[in-house]
Order: sequence, then structure tokens, then C-alpha cells
Amino acid sequence: MSVTLVAVLFVAAGLTALGAFIAAWKRDLTGALTGIPVMFAGAGVAFVGVARFGASSGAPLLGQEMAVLLAIAALSAVGLGIGLAGREGSR
Amino acid sequence: MDSLHAIGFYVSAALAGAGGLFLAFTDSRQRRAVALGLVGLGVAGIDLALSAGFTALVVLICYAGCALLAMRPDHRFLEQAASGPWRQAGAVGAALLLAVLAYAAFRGNFAHATFNGGPFGSVAVGRLLFAHDALATEAVGGLVLASLVGAAGAWRRERPRDERGEGRR
Repeated sequence: MSVTLVAVLFVAAGLTALGAFIAAWKRDLTGALTGIPVMFAGAGVAFVGVARFGASSGAPLLGQEMAVLLAIAALSAVGLGIGLAGREGSR
Repeated sequence: MDSLHAIGFYVSAALAGAGGLFLAFTDSRQRRAVALGLVGLGVAGIDLALSAGFTALVVLICYAGCALLAMRPDHRFLEQAASGPWRQAGAVGAALLLAVLAYAAFRGNFAHATFNGGPFGSVAVGRLLFAHDALATEAVGGLVLASLVGAAGAWRRERPRDERGEGRR
């Protein structure tokens, strides 16, 4: 049993498409917003996979750096979206 | 890559996929948070199996934050303006996206290189973040600051309860 770049990219494609499906399918906007971290997770997995298996020149850990930045961007996107959705009144 | 790492990769990928599917088909806020946590755990496991320990740690923290935000009981239910056919078209578009990306992954002729980094890599990634690509890090820092200020400003104003969301909580 081994892991190749193709297997990593398949997983990344699945996560990205799943995130797009969640964003399109959910009726609740804040629920649809949770598709963004899943999409970003797919992109991050692809970056990490390329850094692990395919980076031959330049900075080899650039993909890991991009995955870190994408995770932080996903958190801030969810925070902003839920903040903009607003707080419900108590009545 | 040894068998242990390969098993970890595939188990984590299955966990992330199952969490994503659970997230797509659940409506409860608590279950949504659990599903987002599962996705984060799976993605962190994938990163760990791919010798990206520092990235796994950051992913775990960020997705736990996303899950906690999604779990909040007091944010409003806002219904999408798009009707059923448009949502179905979006779902078909997601399936097409999967087909295109999977085809590109399957048919791609990728170069293979030997990985020389360590299992955690915090020093190398830190050097990249704060020396090589400091501008990108500052840009993401600015994005986080702007989104936090915007979210806090919008959150202060209480809005009336949306009647359509009553049954969903």
C-alpha cells in the first residue's frame, strides 16, 4: 500500500467538489458558508501533496505554507460570514 | 512512504470525506459543527501523513474555530434567494467539477521528487512565512483583521428573529 500524488489529488478533488456541493445545496446561507472551509481544505491538501511528492526546485515547503494560509483564510471567511448574517433577537 | 503513513492517509481521507458528506446532509447546528470538526480532523491527519505536522496543527486549530463558530445558537437563519432548479444546477456543477479535477489528476504527468523535509517542518515553514513570503503573510493577516472587525461590527446589531428559521434550531 502506498500513497502517490495522484491519490492525494483525487482526495483533494473530492473535497473541493464536496465543498462546492455544500455551498450550492444548502438552503441556509450560514450552512452554505461551511462549504468554504471544505473547498479550501481540498486546495490545501493538493498544495501539501505537491510539496511532498512533486516539488523539485525552489522552496520545497511552499505548498505547506499555502495550506497554512488557506486554513487561516477559511477561518476568517466563516467568521466574517456568520458575523454578517447577524445575531437573532431574543424575542 | 511506509505502510503506516499510507494507512493513516487513507483513513484520514475517509474521515474527511465522511465528515463532508455528513455536513452536506445535516441541518442541525450542533451536528454541522461535529461534521466540520471531522473534516478538520481528517485533513489534519492527511497533512500529518504527508509529513506536514505544522500545517496539520494549524488546520486543526482553524477548523475547530470554524466548528465553534458554526455551532453558535444565536446567528440568524437566512434562506438563499436561489430557487430549487438553481441549487440543483449548482449540485450538477459540483459533480462536473469533481469529474474534471479527477480526470486532470488521473491523466496528469507529474514530476516526482524526493522529499527532504522533516515530519513537522515548523522552522522551514516559519522561515517561508516570515522571511520569504512575508508580504503574503501580512496580506492574510490584514484579511483576518478586516474580517474580524467587520464581523464584530455586524454582530453588535441585534436583528429580529426570522420566522422561517424557527423550526431548524
